[in-house]
Amino acid sequence: MNKKKIRASDAAIIAVTAVLAAGFFFPIYFTFISAFKTNGEILRSPIALPSALRFDNFIYLWKKTNIPAAALRSAFLTIVSTLCMVLVIPMSSYALERRKTRFSRFLYIFFLSGMMIPFQVYMIPLFRQLKILGLFGTLQGPIFVYVSGAVAFGTLLYSSFIKTVPKEIEESACLDGYRSFQIFWKIVFPLLAPCTASMVILQSLNIWNDFLMPLMVMPANRPKTINVEIYAFIGEFQVRWDVLFSGTLISMVPVIVVFALLQKYFVSGIMAGTLKG
Amino acid sequence: MTKTPIPRKRRKHTAFQVSYALCLPAFLLFAGFVVIPAVSSIYYSLTSWDGISKSMEFVGLRNYRDLVADARFLNALKNTLTITIALTILQNVLALLLALLVERVKVGKTLFRSAFYLPVLLSGIITGYVWVALLNYTFGVVNMFFKAVGLDSFAIDWLGNPDFAIWTVVAVLVWKGAGYYMIIYMAGLSGIPNELMEASSIDGASAPRQFASITFPLLAGTFTINLTLSLINGLRVFDQIVAMTSGGPGFATETFTYQIYSVAFAEGRQGYGTALAIVLFLVTLVFAGLQNAALRKREVQA
Repeated sequence: MNKKKIRASDAAIIAVTAVLAAGFFFPIYFTFISAFKTNGEILRSPIALPSALRFDNFIYLWKKTNIPAAALRSAFLTIVSTLCMVLVIPMSSYALERRKTRFSRFLYIFFLSGMMIPFQVYMIPLFRQLKILGLFGTLQGPIFVYVSGAVAFGTLLYSSFIKTVPKEIEESACLDGYRSFQIFWKIVFPLLAPCTASMVILQSLNIWNDFLMPLMVMPANRPKTINVEIYAFIGEFQVRWDVLFSGTLISMVPVIVVFALLQKYFVSGIMAGTLKG
Repeated sequence: MTKTPIPRKRRKHTAFQVSYALCLPAFLLFAGFVVIPAVSSIYYSLTSWDGISKSMEFVGLRNYRDLVADARFLNALKNTLTITIALTILQNVLALLLALLVERVKVGKTLFRSAFYLPVLLSGIITGYVWVALLNYTFGVVNMFFKAVGLDSFAIDWLGNPDFAIWTVVAVLVWKGAGYYMIIYMAGLSGIPNELMEASSIDGASAPRQFASITFPLLAGTFTINLTLSLINGLRVFDQIVAMTSGGPGFATETFTYQIYSVAFAEGRQGYGTALAIVLFLVTLVFAGLQNAALRKREVQA
């Protein structure tokens, strides 16, 4: 009797969860099917599967819009910016965490204060500064902004991780005559790999998905990032839902693939990001 | 640590220098592209700069005086607070529910967790457009659904109706963000010792009773984190407004961040826009501070 009751409640939980999950997933499913439909099909029968597997929307995107070129730029910005973050942030977090001085404690708090500053608060002076430095309308400009903007979160992430790395390894390397730079890159950095993976994944998502900053600072006469070009496309062709959805799919697919392959790093990255409380 | 006597002093010295060399690139970037612009925004907010001219005219507190009298600002403040409070409550209730469900579900746990979490990873702009299509008055799936189940009166122009648009935006934001808080609640739930649950089951406690007396109090720390995060994120809502409503109809869904963007870049009033941004920063600080103080108290008592 009791056992049966438990099984019935299990089934109820599965049913409720499945209905909610289907609801959550529906917009993504809808993007997938709509990307292969004609505009007419989307308007007439939005939930039906596409009548045939047609790639006309993608061909249109390829030939007539800036979206493929913009996707390439998004990928470039994402890769180069996260690479620069990896060159800069773990090294500094390591120094701050391992050599505790009054100044390093101050610097740690100083970096973390960045978590409290919304981008909108400093964007206007930042744009003017980029113009003065000649970085406005270049590809380097956004890279500088992304790497600088990641210092706060990255320091938080790495500092909590470095605490768990035993010092003995570094100390023996130190006795073997390695210098600090070498100790860091040859011995400590490989040990930080899980943390680096979390930061790279979370930050590359942010950059790939970013909208406001690239809209404002990238060159006006050339393709910007994928999301900015989709926004521009809608501004021009409000009724081309078919093309919109194929562009949307191109923006979504890399994110979904990365998530499917590297799930565990997402969770550890989120948890590290909440430790500040 | 060091056994050799002579190099000791020298090595300490170089180590000291090297450790600052390691911090230097991060420091220069953070100071140059975050702190300097953030601090100089205080000065910008005291000017009437238009975004183009070479010179900036210092106008003292005029922007702040204008702001207090600006009906559009008060409206954006009201909208931002409405969205933030509604979002914080709804997102946390749903996220906790999802976490409890996914923790308990016997099959397909990873799959369900991924389905709830996936919207978090996608861009606000892109998902905003997908929802614009789903919520379309004539061909949108949402209205088709309501008509199919016989609730024809629910088939309205979700984003075009000034009374409902803001709640529609909130609903889409809940969909987008709940999975993030769910992951944090799941981590909190897994930290609750099983023995407590088993012992109370043996004592005959019902599931709701267990939730009220064990789960809820022991999640206090997780609540603090999640409420603070959802509050800060609520105050920053921007992409979805751009994609779904452009602040409209009228100004019905215009938030702080959207007004800053529109005043500064569409109207060329960057001095005024910066003053708005400073107020946004202060509101963020006050909210986060108040909430943390209130919740910490609860944690101690629990």
